[in-house]
Amino acid sequence: MRSRISALIVALAIPCSLGAQNIALVAEHLYTMDAGPQGGPGVVLIRDGKIEDVRQGANVQPPKGFEVIRGAYVTPGLIDTNTTTGISGAYNIPADQDQDEATDPNTADVNVRDSLNPEDLLYQFVNTYGVTTLQVAPGPRNPIAGLAGIFKTAGPQSPFRTVDQLIVRINSGMVFNMGEGPKETYGATRKAPVTRMKTAEIIRGALLQAQQYQDKWDKWKREGSDPAKEPALEPKVAALADVVTGKTPAIFNAYRADDIDTAIRIGTEFHLKYMLASVTEGYLIRERIKQAGVPCLVGAIMQPLESLETANATYENAALLAQAGIPVSIMTGYVAYVPKSRILLFEAAVAAANGLGMEPALRAITISAAKMLGIDDRAGSLSKGKDADAVVFDGDPFEYTSHVQQVLVQGAVTYRRP
Amino acid sequence: MQRRKCAAVTMSLLGGLLASFISLAPAQSAQDQSVLVVRGARILPITSPPIAQGVLVIQGGKIVAVGEAGKVSIPAGARIQDAGGKVIMPGIVDSHSHIGIMGNPTVADSQDGNEGSGPVQPGLRALDAINPADPNIRIATSGGITTANIMPGSGNVMGGQTAYVKLRGATMEQMLIPGTIGGMKMANGTNPKGYGSRGQAPMTRMEEAALARGIYQKAQQYKAKWDAYAKAVAAKDKTAKEPDHDLGLDAVVQVLDGKRIVHNHTHRADDVMTVLRLADEFHYRVVVHHGTESCEVADELAKRHIGVSYTMIDSPGGKPETINVSLSCPARLEKAGVKVAFNTDDPITNSRMLLRSAALAVRGGMSEDAALKGLTIYPAEMLDLEHRVGSLEMGKDADFLVLSGAPLSVYTHVQETWIEGEKVFDRGNPVDLRYATGGFQVIGRYPAGAAQ
Repeated sequence: MRSRISALIVALAIPCSLGAQNIALVAEHLYTMDAGPQGGPGVVLIRDGKIEDVRQGANVQPPKGFEVIRGAYVTPGLIDTNTTTGISGAYNIPADQDQDEATDPNTADVNVRDSLNPEDLLYQFVNTYGVTTLQVAPGPRNPIAGLAGIFKTAGPQSPFRTVDQLIVRINSGMVFNMGEGPKETYGATRKAPVTRMKTAEIIRGALLQAQQYQDKWDKWKREGSDPAKEPALEPKVAALADVVTGKTPAIFNAYRADDIDTAIRIGTEFHLKYMLASVTEGYLIRERIKQAGVPCLVGAIMQPLESLETANATYENAALLAQAGIPVSIMTGYVAYVPKSRILLFEAAVAAANGLGMEPALRAITISAAKMLGIDDRAGSLSKGKDADAVVFDGDPFEYTSHVQQVLVQGAVTYRRP
Repeated sequence: MQRRKCAAVTMSLLGGLLASFISLAPAQSAQDQSVLVVRGARILPITSPPIAQGVLVIQGGKIVAVGEAGKVSIPAGARIQDAGGKVIMPGIVDSHSHIGIMGNPTVADSQDGNEGSGPVQPGLRALDAINPADPNIRIATSGGITTANIMPGSGNVMGGQTAYVKLRGATMEQMLIPGTIGGMKMANGTNPKGYGSRGQAPMTRMEEAALARGIYQKAQQYKAKWDAYAKAVAAKDKTAKEPDHDLGLDAVVQVLDGKRIVHNHTHRADDVMTVLRLADEFHYRVVVHHGTESCEVADELAKRHIGVSYTMIDSPGGKPETINVSLSCPARLEKAGVKVAFNTDDPITNSRMLLRSAALAVRGGMSEDAALKGLTIYPAEMLDLEHRVGSLEMGKDADFLVLSGAPLSVYTHVQETWIEGEKVFDRGNPVDLRYATGGFQVIGRYPAGAAQ
């Protein structure tokens, strides 16, 4: 039993020990996901962990000095825009669950960086399905849940990794949860919030306080930063001050249409830079979302829908939102039971087959995701100068019967199909 | 424009309702006596080679002929349905489901799978808790499931009697497959140990096994009493006294008599071996369900001719005993000569996604032939229903699917689902479509122009 886990880890580790080399990815169907045409033959040249050049065409020969990896389909590394993988461990026992600090409805000062375990089985597992970058976010139970971060799933430094080696960006978002999660967490013992109105009040109250706090500090700085008059530091409020100033984007996790609407109401009221996560009933109010100009991190659709607020989930959600002109990415989110993680590739496949189409679905988990997270300078497409994060498939990436052949993170092969 | 759109939706809604009433009509309707011919499709009969240009002839809810175009005679006056470019396969048999008993939406009121008042419940019948109006049943037909083994949950060592049903009808009587009594649900490993957290038995795997052994020993004694009574009656012994009936033990005796197959939830390899140990000891018929680590003891299963009803899940974990789940387990079982069926364990995997489970097994190395059998004839065998369902053969129930393409492709959709010659799902119907994709409760507000 343990042997198979060890085997997986060894499989991940051995190729990594080769370190970053000069690699030429030779594809029959190259999906760079940049602005140009997609799916033709081409070669991606990788040097020192970065993409040195991309050459399209059938007769391009890889230059000398590059290790050649051939594949039927080559895509950028996949990007999961909202997940608890890494902080919600595979065993699903109290010992490995660190995603919900459900002791206070406002835990704005907690940071996923301090819960993340890169050695967790699932954290390594998702890399074998092509995920090279993910935004790890606190779970769905607190109205104000804490700070998300963006991390690589592996890298040249494997197998001995620390969180800090994997960071793409910390404090990438502040998570606010709407709907059933908060009220069921606290309502059962008659603590606030018991209702959706209280959840909204808690969030609005905290944001108002953060505005006042920011004003106080701004005033103090304006008036000469006199150490004797320095305002008291309040970590939770300070974390939210970065949200009201737009430094930290807000991520509103909401399922029911009216909860999505409440999130938009709050986002508008406080002029937040924000996005919507899960958005199960987003398709029902897509005009409102479009009007608000908010990007959507569309929730995984294949997990058991164990709540009222997800009862109207549809496989067509991503397609309907995209057709309305709303930027969409796909997130695997939260899973409470078996299986403990959704697979981004498979969730995108369902969207692809239900109206979104192959190329837009691939876009949702690569370049669109990177743009939403503000990391498109490094990731999301196979473009000159970006991180050499790529996936090699033996067939259409979304076909159930295709295989991930190789995964590269920053030029290092982090997974090779046994 | 907006209003006209609304009217169209209302019309289609009515159409859908009408269609569902038709599908609820008793099997002996006059229409059933007419002949339906579906032709032009690639037909996968499963127990015989694929037919490139096939013809399927149906009458009275049964298949009367299946074969190559030109070689099957088409009766005069038959209704003809053209299925050119499509693929036809048998209706899917889900050997492990909780639709109707763990209902939709998931609120406490609709959850009747686990009688958590005691770990040994042989007297319970799933059929007394299944809600035929549960939307999950209609959702399942949109995924191509036509026959299901609906079971109590895995919270108990012996969870109760399962029900073998067709996914049609407004009452359990219409759903139940005539002549069947269902199986017996058992479970070991993590889930029944839930009692332990309340300080009740079982708290350990050994107690789970002891409880199972205890009920079978009791049933053996009970059976001996009845056997003795029957013998005395046969010998015209006037002093013979009829033993008292026991609802639970009656059902366990059916297990001992081989009339009721045990469907045993189990994950870890050592738990699978406990299942086999008990079955060896009491000589009952068993199917290993989930079988997450069953491939580790594949030879033990193969030599006993015990099959596995596998739940294909996407990633490891959720609980420690499923940490070693792997897409390659079904392939390893196949290689060892173990028959593998795929189940939904709905709600663990969605009933719309059972074709996908077989596809993932192929990704893991299984042959496409075994994967398709794992959706059809193998689960039928695990329910003693192979004489009726699981393949397209003359004389079997006319349960079949019309698919838009290859069965294991992500881009393929179930177009139509037929049970005993009646269409129960049609993707062309806007209401049915919302069961296939989602949003059936908000159909009037569902935006048009999505995915078609």
